[in-house]
Amino acid sequence: MQLLSGDARRAVFAPLDDGALRSEAVVRRVGSAIGLGLLADGEQLPTETDLATMLNVSTMTLREALSELRKLGLVQTRRGRGGGSFVCSREDVLAELADARLAELGTTDLRELGDVHGAVAAAAARLAASRASRTETARLRDLVDRLASAGSVTGQRRIDGRYYIELAACAQSVRLTMQEMDLHLELGQLPWPPAHSPGLLDVIVAGHRAVVDAIEDRDAARARALAEAHVETRTLWAIELRLQRLGDAAAPRSEREVS
Amino acid sequence: MTDRGAAEVARVTGAVSDLVEQVFVTVSRVREGVLSSVERNGLRAGSWVPPDGVSELLREPGQLAVGLGLVVAPRPELDLTQRLEWWQVDPDAGGQLHTLEPDLRPMSLGFYDYTTAEWYDVPRRTGRRHAFGPHVDVHGTGRYLLTLTEPVVAESGFVGVAGADVPVRRFEASLLEALGHLPVPFVVLNAEERIVLSTAPRWLVGALVPPGGVSAGPVAEVPGTPWRVRLVREESVLRP
Repeated sequence: MQLLSGDARRAVFAPLDDGALRSEAVVRRVGSAIGLGLLADGEQLPTETDLATMLNVSTMTLREALSELRKLGLVQTRRGRGGGSFVCSREDVLAELADARLAELGTTDLRELGDVHGAVAAAAARLAASRASRTETARLRDLVDRLASAGSVTGQRRIDGRYYIELAACAQSVRLTMQEMDLHLELGQLPWPPAHSPGLLDVIVAGHRAVVDAIEDRDAARARALAEAHVETRTLWAIELRLQRLGDAAAPRSEREVS
Repeated sequence: MTDRGAAEVARVTGAVSDLVEQVFVTVSRVREGVLSSVERNGLRAGSWVPPDGVSELLREPGQLAVGLGLVVAPRPELDLTQRLEWWQVDPDAGGQLHTLEPDLRPMSLGFYDYTTAEWYDVPRRTGRRHAFGPHVDVHGTGRYLLTLTEPVVAESGFVGVAGADVPVRRFEASLLEALGHLPVPFVVLNAEERIVLSTAPRWLVGALVPPGGVSAGPVAEVPGTPWRVRLVREESVLRP
């Protein structure tokens, strides 16, 4: 089996940081990679040994993670010749996984993640304002148009992620680009706010458009400020969604739905 | 233009041009390898770049390229989909060669949409070679590169683009070494006014030069590329 070797793939199979509950970290990483389309439906995962080595976890931990992924229905294991573990993309399961992840995090964790993303995105937008060519600006604009008309949650997520990664590439910075990829594998583990309140997609689209306008005007300070403010807004959405979960846990509401 | 300025800009341009031509020799050998495969085996044959030749090319002493190969023009009527035959040297693995297998599924966050990339599109449209960059090769190698390409056209038409990736760092190091003593401050600009290379600390590689940004020093075009060398007036930034 030939593994894909693009840079986003490297991020998917990069070693996990040290920490407790590593099998859950594997499950989350694989889940967000499926949600972002980096692992496609029906795709075969590397062998257990290879996967354990890439992610820097023990085979034991990896087996636990695979067993959990099977239980969730995100991975199917077939035995025998041509066997192995195969990806099953399921939007409902991914949404449940994202809700569960949100419930584990504190509001400060969400703020921290937002702080870093804000710093990276703002720096990328500022540099892009002086470094993006006309072609690149047009490509950013095209991505935002596609985001506005994307139908599914996964489609919106992927285009939003591509927008941020392209923005960093327009800054001519490999490091900012790789940071965005890593951040999106983490952000992809959380619920997508427009799935809970569809009007928010318009806010995201308007936010990105304003940044692209500033880049086109070569206004670095405005591009930076707008990009930063937009990420801040989205961080507040995540925090409010998190706090709503407290209410849900205390008194389950019938209108609560997993989208 | 002073005589010294003219001589200096000619010297720098000559050195840039030598390096560029050296890379294009490699690109041409890839192209010739592809053409002879296509002519021998037809368009439907599985692979067109002879791997032995690639390995030899990438291991040549003084080779600037760290990656090279062919990106195939998709031709749905012949069942030819997007495809790369691209090899890279992995400096972290003792110079081992491996193929680049980027994600070619449009639905993925990591989709490597090369048909819209300038290094592919310009040779396809113009039929001429192209030097693109510096650019972040996002969703591909993830490196900061100059990508030099030329079209591969067989009797049956446009087959794809042969090319080579040269890390910006390596190009800079080789040029400075070739120039010997510390050259007068200059920038190499591409057609979009982006700085490809600079020996003036205020002008950063990758930046776009705003209109009227660089002082009007002696200029010379680098033949067969969209690049030109311009001497700039520069005072040290180290002086308080």
